[in-house]
Amino acid sequence: MTAQLPPGLEIEKLDERIMTLNVGPQHPGSGHMRLIVKVDGDYIVSCDPDPGYVHRGEEKMAEYRNYITNIPHLERPVIHDSCNVLYPYCLGVEEILGLEVPERAKYLRVIASELNRCVYTQYWLAIYGIFLGHSTMFMWPAGDREFLIDALEKMTGARVTHAYFVPGGIRNDVPANFEDMVLRRVDYFEKRIKEYAAIFYDNPILISRTRDAGVLSREDAIRLGTTGSTLRASGVDFDLRTKEPYDVYEELDVKVNTLKAGDSYARSKIPWLDMLESCNIIRQAVQKMPKSGSVRVKLKPNPKGGNTEVYKRVESGRGSLGCYIVSDSKPEPYRVKMSVGSFRNLICMPYLLKGEKLGNMPAVYWSLNYWPVEADR
Amino acid sequence: MSAIAPKFRLGYFLKSILDNTFWGIILLTLVGIPLVMMLLFYLELPVINGKLLSPYLAFTTLADPSRQIPLIKSLMQTDFFRIAAFPGFGFAALVAAGTIFVERKMLAKLQLRVGPFYCGKIEGILQLMSDGIKLLSKEIIIPAKADKPIFWAAPVLFVATAAAFVSLIPAAGNGWVVANVDVGIIAVFAVIGFFPVITVLSSWSANSKFPFIGGIRALHQMVSFEIPLILSVLGVVILTGTLNLTEIVESQHTYWWIVFLPIGAIVFFIAMLAELERIPFDLPEAESEIVAGWLTEFSGMMYGLVQLGSYLKLYAFAALFVVLFLGGWNGPNVWPPFPAEIIEKGIEMGPITARFPGLPLLDQQMLNDVLWFVIKVVGVIFFILLPRGVFPRIRIDLLLHIGWYKLIGLSFVNIFIALGLLYAGVLGPGGIL
Amino acid sequence: MSTEETKPAAPAESKETKPVAKAEPKELPAFEKSISDKLEKKFGSKTTIEFVKPTRIRVKVNKENVLEVAKFIRDELHFDHAESVSGVDYPSKKEIEVVYHLGSYTDPDLAKQILTLVTSATREENPNPGNDSTRLPSLREIFYSVEFHERECFEMLGVFFEGHPDNRRLLLPEDWADLPPMRKDFKIKGR
Repeated sequence: MTAQLPPGLEIEKLDERIMTLNVGPQHPGSGHMRLIVKVDGDYIVSCDPDPGYVHRGEEKMAEYRNYITNIPHLERPVIHDSCNVLYPYCLGVEEILGLEVPERAKYLRVIASELNRCVYTQYWLAIYGIFLGHSTMFMWPAGDREFLIDALEKMTGARVTHAYFVPGGIRNDVPANFEDMVLRRVDYFEKRIKEYAAIFYDNPILISRTRDAGVLSREDAIRLGTTGSTLRASGVDFDLRTKEPYDVYEELDVKVNTLKAGDSYARSKIPWLDMLESCNIIRQAVQKMPKSGSVRVKLKPNPKGGNTEVYKRVESGRGSLGCYIVSDSKPEPYRVKMSVGSFRNLICMPYLLKGEKLGNMPAVYWSLNYWPVEADR
Repeated sequence: MSAIAPKFRLGYFLKSILDNTFWGIILLTLVGIPLVMMLLFYLELPVINGKLLSPYLAFTTLADPSRQIPLIKSLMQTDFFRIAAFPGFGFAALVAAGTIFVERKMLAKLQLRVGPFYCGKIEGILQLMSDGIKLLSKEIIIPAKADKPIFWAAPVLFVATAAAFVSLIPAAGNGWVVANVDVGIIAVFAVIGFFPVITVLSSWSANSKFPFIGGIRALHQMVSFEIPLILSVLGVVILTGTLNLTEIVESQHTYWWIVFLPIGAIVFFIAMLAELERIPFDLPEAESEIVAGWLTEFSGMMYGLVQLGSYLKLYAFAALFVVLFLGGWNGPNVWPPFPAEIIEKGIEMGPITARFPGLPLLDQQMLNDVLWFVIKVVGVIFFILLPRGVFPRIRIDLLLHIGWYKLIGLSFVNIFIALGLLYAGVLGPGGIL
Repeated sequence: MSTEETKPAAPAESKETKPVAKAEPKELPAFEKSISDKLEKKFGSKTTIEFVKPTRIRVKVNKENVLEVAKFIRDELHFDHAESVSGVDYPSKKEIEVVYHLGSYTDPDLAKQILTLVTSATREENPNPGNDSTRLPSLREIFYSVEFHERECFEMLGVFFEGHPDNRRLLLPEDWADLPPMRKDFKIKGR
């Protein structure tokens, strides 16, 4: 024991009262990350998040690929929300290369983005249900999202990791009966998710578990720099689709949902309200979309921009996703940095879990809309 | 199995035959015959037609089926039948197996999926059997620093206590209960009081953090819900004046106790869900926080035994609820009587008349009782299984709040109602009803 | 606000002209210019306004002055949180740039604006993260939200943030003994 320890390891002294729990990657309640939780009886004394189990070095690898081959690579942080992850990157590259996206492509991008948002939120809601022990709330969202994944497959060719957005538009046009198919699925989907109110959001046990658990006040939410549903559940109505509209969002009518409570119940309700709003947005977009037109700008091989940098951001399922690209007149970007909503919300975890009961731990930290794979990139 | 047979040598083959016969003879004489002697000493052999049953007589039943009936009848009166088959372990295990299957199917339909589907021709009937075989074939892993004797004994103790619980519940009138004790209810609660101890033992001996937390939570939960459980039953005891479970059922031959003591029934139901560790009270095995709670370190057949014990407990509690509040086996006599011609004249098949002296095996009243008992138990089990699809898991402090404040309060209200009914002269001895 | 929201192709007409980082002969967008003027007025030569584009302003500061500039930005200009903190490695210029993108939730006029605050630290050939001269003052006291971002910057590029309460590894494994990965001289094996 007196030998030199390998770097990064330390010996922990056992305390009389405080027990260190490793809510680790092999845990049915943790996702792909570790929380080192120090517990005093039933109360959490401190919580130290330890992400990085899924860190693949996306940003480093992006420097070795050119703008086009980066597309299937950079969509991997969130595989079922891949359109939203690629969105700021495509917008940024279009600014670097000076491309003008055709109108029909913009509408299709919006539709794909909203469908992806619903698919991601359903999965997150399913896992939230199972963390609270509600197996029906796991099965219903996981089953209902299949219709939207089906629609996305008809649109893009793949169920997840669509690789659909390219700088200059989208890869391919949609099949002929696209509008009818999407509208029918969205109608059914909306009917199904309205039933979640009865079984989940009005469930007295759920309310008693998540009400006033992990309350994040408005000032704290702003100071900690949270984003997405965590921010809107604390009363700040900031949604990039209305504040800094990109593509055709200024022609669509987007309602931003906010709640004032800032507790886990509000944070779990906002994504559901957002899904209902997404259905409306998809319907408007399908209605306003130009019926024909090109969907992609033709690019020369190995396109390159000048010595410039861009920072573009987009509202994804988890919050504002920003992409900072530095270009130096080579076909490969000099630096790509993705600022993801999950990583920005990670700071709330030690902040909120201190002093919470151990039973509230999954209810609080998963309600922050945290996707471990995205946070690690 | 090796696909390549070793080379055959006649000498080795003969040697193996001789070895097998040698061991067969040794086992038969040194173990088998003493075993048979011991059985013969303790089993009460029946008297058939004035003669004590001998092995020759027993084997003649193979040739003459009509003499089987008295043998079977006498076997059914033994204690061993009551313990092993009905209403003891065999019956309870069958109900438990059915419960597990129905639970999986019912939850699946609730959750818009299919449930067990492929195992067995119709809708996955044989799924349980395959699960049992799978669990038998898994390796049992014991943590290195675990307390081995207690760790091995804990699942067995769990099943034993659950079986002890099952043995106290009457399933039909006329003494169809394994242990007919005069203080039935107190015996039931004494046995229930073992479960927290076994849970804590098994979690402590596993020597790991998550079982530890799960065991402490199980202890808190079970102990704090035992009191409302007992108090809610006091109302029934006050009104019937007896602690014997069979007599409680007999006192409900006109009306069920749930009609007069609904609050007690509700309190008993909720406390029962907590004792059984069913959702919404399944904190001790809360998967998302503490892996599997006090069951974490059990693997293979030990896990299978714990599940068996859990579902035996489920049957026993549901049966207790039926016995105390829903009138046990009382019900309209719908079981058809045994056709009288068969008793007197036998079955006529063409020229041959087969006579079966000693029929009927079980009398009509008993079968009627069993029918109604099973129907009611199935109904109660359905209501126990249903919250699993509807509710999330409750938190420990809310649980203890419910157990210590609300349920005890409600059960005291129930006792006052019972006392009021008794002293107003409505129920009980000398009452109106 | 008079700014157009989509791609700011306003400064450039043809498709090939790259938007250059220096001042343009065309007129700069008014609202952003007002913000950058405020900064210039207060700090003068300590800050360099690198570009002013619609909704994006870039300000470069030395590491000695970055704390007071950040405080000014937070208090007077009402930018209240950091959207992201990136480190960019320029081995040719022998420096590592740390880029803070600052946004505002409270001020509705600033909802679209992102202020890019840039400092740079000297870059050493053989880095010893934590113990060499690649240090920067931490902005955590001013913007609380940079805590985890600066930790990631430390482990990925080796920039030590002085005043940060917890300069530890976040994403990399605990026994990482190689160069900080985002540096340009760390080559991915096989490429």
